[in-house]
Amino acid sequence: MARHQNIRNLDYEAELEEYGAFSDEEEEELSPEDQVRMREGTAQVLEALGVEAHKVTKAQIEESLWHYYWDVDKTITYLISKYIDPPKKPAKTAPPKTAPKQDGTCILGKGSGPWWPTSLSRSSPVALCEPSLTTSCQAAIASASRQSFAHLFRDLPWGNIPPERQAVLIPPPQLPGGLLGGSGAPPKMSKLQQLAAARKKKAEEKSASGEVEQTQVKMTELTVNDNQASKENRPLAGVFGKRVKISETTAQGRIPLTMAEPTRPEIPQAQAPEASPSQHQEEDPIDPEPAVAPPKAQPSAFASTLFGPSSDSPKRRPREVFALPYMAISSYSPDAFGKPSPDDVVLAAQAKVATAGKKSANVHNKKGSSSADGVTNQVSQLKIDDTPLPKSRNLNVLSEFEKQKGKKTASFVVVGHVDAGKSTMMGRLLLDLNVVDQRTVDKLRKEAEKIGKTSFALAWVLDQRHEERSRGVTIDIATNRFETETTSFTILDAPGHRDFIPNMIAGASQADFAILVIDASTGAFESGLKGQTREHSLLIRSMGVSRIIVAVNKLDTVNWSQERFDEITHQVSGFLTATGFQPKNIAFVPVSGLHGDNLVRKSTDPAASWYTGKTLVEELEASEPSARALAKPLRMTISEVMRTPQSSISITGRIDAGSLQMGDALLVQPSGEKAYVKSLQVDDGEPADWAVAGQNVVLHLSNIDPIHVRVGDIVCDPAKPIQCVDTFTLKALAFDILMPMQVDVHRGRLHAAGKIEAIDAILDKVTGKVTKKKPMIVKPGTVSRVRVTLHSKVPLEAGQRVVLRSGGQTVAAGLLE
Amino acid sequence: MADRRRINGPVGTTNPPIYDDAPEKQSEGVKVARSRPANVIRRMYLKTGVTPSASGSAYLEIESSGNGGSGLKLSCSVHGPRALPRSTPFSPHIILSTHVKFAPFATKQRRGYIRDPIERDLGTHLETALRGSIIADRWPKSGVDIIISIVEGEQDRETSKAQGIEAWDTMNALSGCITVASAALADAGIDCVDTVAGGVAALVQDAGDDAAPSIVVDPIPSEHEKVLAACCIAYLPTRQEVTNLWFKGDLPASDMDVYTQLIEKGIQASKSANRVLVDCLNETVG
Repeated sequence: MARHQNIRNLDYEAELEEYGAFSDEEEEELSPEDQVRMREGTAQVLEALGVEAHKVTKAQIEESLWHYYWDVDKTITYLISKYIDPPKKPAKTAPPKTAPKQDGTCILGKGSGPWWPTSLSRSSPVALCEPSLTTSCQAAIASASRQSFAHLFRDLPWGNIPPERQAVLIPPPQLPGGLLGGSGAPPKMSKLQQLAAARKKKAEEKSASGEVEQTQVKMTELTVNDNQASKENRPLAGVFGKRVKISETTAQGRIPLTMAEPTRPEIPQAQAPEASPSQHQEEDPIDPEPAVAPPKAQPSAFASTLFGPSSDSPKRRPREVFALPYMAISSYSPDAFGKPSPDDVVLAAQAKVATAGKKSANVHNKKGSSSADGVTNQVSQLKIDDTPLPKSRNLNVLSEFEKQKGKKTASFVVVGHVDAGKSTMMGRLLLDLNVVDQRTVDKLRKEAEKIGKTSFALAWVLDQRHEERSRGVTIDIATNRFETETTSFTILDAPGHRDFIPNMIAGASQADFAILVIDASTGAFESGLKGQTREHSLLIRSMGVSRIIVAVNKLDTVNWSQERFDEITHQVSGFLTATGFQPKNIAFVPVSGLHGDNLVRKSTDPAASWYTGKTLVEELEASEPSARALAKPLRMTISEVMRTPQSSISITGRIDAGSLQMGDALLVQPSGEKAYVKSLQVDDGEPADWAVAGQNVVLHLSNIDPIHVRVGDIVCDPAKPIQCVDTFTLKALAFDILMPMQVDVHRGRLHAAGKIEAIDAILDKVTGKVTKKKPMIVKPGTVSRVRVTLHSKVPLEAGQRVVLRSGGQTVAAGLLE
Repeated sequence: MADRRRINGPVGTTNPPIYDDAPEKQSEGVKVARSRPANVIRRMYLKTGVTPSASGSAYLEIESSGNGGSGLKLSCSVHGPRALPRSTPFSPHIILSTHVKFAPFATKQRRGYIRDPIERDLGTHLETALRGSIIADRWPKSGVDIIISIVEGEQDRETSKAQGIEAWDTMNALSGCITVASAALADAGIDCVDTVAGGVAALVQDAGDDAAPSIVVDPIPSEHEKVLAACCIAYLPTRQEVTNLWFKGDLPASDMDVYTQLIEKGIQASKSANRVLVDCLNETVG
């Protein structure tokens, strides 16, 4: 209630008085020059009014003068219409006053002071409640504040919309084809349709631009700061005009986006093209975008191939004449047949060389050997740091070996046609010698029964791989060992299948002598003689094995027929003699591998009582192992690489030549990396300090990365390393027709691809004399000198025996020269 | 031991060819200076509607710098708008998915077939740039795939690798991607508020360290001694809006204006590119 009372009692007059007094105060504070102007103006008005002057008071004149800011004419007009000759409408409210000091402010505000919120926050309250401060300082603040407000409203057009903002309404364009997407090509039109469409478009453009112009004219008429605007609008227009101006100046200096603005890119449809003159001025003089030349490039060769030539480039006419394809080749010449053909050239050259053939061959050999000498010299000059590890005992291995009075060691390879019973015979041998116990064999037999191959149980003693067992054939060399009273033997059980001949070669290269197993059962022997019996015996002979024991197997299936044995003996000995075995080095034993007759013990079968010769083991013991090359530099072919607890790299193999001891430095070829012997095991896994040629050893290496050691590599003495060569000459015994062709070169585990480069000569088998030079081909069974090139360098040296194979067939075997 | 049991392969071997990888000329020594004015972008070739099977497609080629080096070649195809798969949750607006992939042979360093982080980055930037221009709510429950193959990367390959300036090339690639994608979107008829184009500006230092750095538009890093900073901008000219801004590098701490100027120049480059874009679209329509 109390508050209502208060409001009811409020004295409006008194309240308003305050404001009036306030404005009066302001008038009293006119500056001296204003007062002078006021006086002059009043005098002028009074003079102009003349007689009518009494109708107006001096105060009225002063007020209106102030209002019109000393515009005498306007004041007079106003006074006449208001007081002297008033129209029907009486009092007109005084128009709003503006601050008197407007003239200089915009210049003041232009460059000074921060233009954004700091000034706004500081000066805005002042500006709001005291709009008419008169001191210059205050005016400056006020103007600054106004400027910041101007900036606030900068984006609002307030009626004077710049032409570029004026909206142009464009009817939405018809989508090509009426559907979305597509390759962008317009739908197909007939010519008539196109013409009509073009006309329509033109007309639309014209009318649209006309309309736009009209609107623009109207808009400029509307613009409030125009000179022709009515006088009542003037003050308002001034204010807004200034605002706009300020915003423009501010923008010019500080707002980057507006400044960098060049001409707008044209909107595709018809559109007022002329930019406003002010904008042209604003444009950067070095603006890179002249409206004329957009940076459009010609398509590159790639693009023009992809999309076809651009429409404006002249279309290439298809060629009407087609050149023959070979005419374009640079080497083509129409008179090619005028000259002698390449074959003629070759023949002529050969004819010429034939006379000087011998000489050139010699020269070639000499050159080869001299270069090899040079290399060896250089290599020997190289100082290789092969000081053995401190572990080495520096033994004299050879004297140690002589001092040692142990058993002889010998290794033999078991070869023969597939399914001749090689593995089974060796299994039985091991069983009878108690190397394998009966329990193991029983277990194997049980397993064999499971897959229905009971007869293979003994073979499984050696064939331990899963695949070997499931297929029932030996695939890779299996090694095992046994001892008799005098000798310790290493068995190398070779695969009989012809697909695995490389493995057999690997085995044969490690053997001192061989057991050739022959299947005596009807038909099997004959097929074997044509097959691997023949190939194997050729191979082992060319691998340098001279002693051979022929085990005629499976004689129990023919009831120990002596006739069969004799027949086989006759045929095989004839064949072996022809192959090059000496008759005294061939022995025949009738055996039964499955039952063990004549292997370790004599056959108890009465049907076999006709045989009184030695058993197989006795024959083995009677065999003298071939002489070891103990004094030669160390050579050992790696036949297996493995990890063992002793070392991360352990290698096995048979030492071909030389000797080694613990702590020795070794060189692995062809990688050329050096390693040290950490420790070694000889033969049946006994740790030893040294090993000599002929022994099968396990070497535990150190100081070498496993990637440098591979099966087939050669371990040698770093002081006298084996050379890696890719070309060599070979004295080869041909098993098949030889001509310059692609071959595989096998040497033990090592094998490399290469080709026969040339056949130098055919040699006499016995005397070794040249019988024919430069033959085209070599017939089977003849000896020739061939030159072989390999695709990669492999460690080979003279005196080594290699086998050449081609297309899964053994074509030749021979000795490196 | 290698398996040489049953399969007897051909006996002969062929040595694989070995290419000499060493550069023929020392490319660092030979430096081609920039021949264009500092505020002019390279000329480019743009063509829409190149892939018939796509809803919209475009091909962009920026001409080489003139020293025999290769330019930038981009191909973009737009598939969609098409319905989203049923499993996708409701979306009131179109779902953009962008894929940028360098062809394996596009740069000196061969690219893999799986997108690497740089390509993923480019895709994200591109998506941001385009999202600002597409009127996404016109196409609810739909998606659009934008696939860009960079057929040939920027630079003549030797220099790029030798100077380690591949990072700056990525910016040029992005600006090309934005322009070509915008053209392809227009070709596909997908509603956009404006055509968006990419522009690159860089603060470079030429001829020794003592010279004052200058700002150039559409930089080729191999033409300059050193690139201090660069920015790639996607800009809508009629709306005066920047939809994507990628800035990289160090600016001199003394001058705060440089950043603004750099962006200004980037916008300028973008406008120039937009001009080509609009021209190309006009050609197609008219």
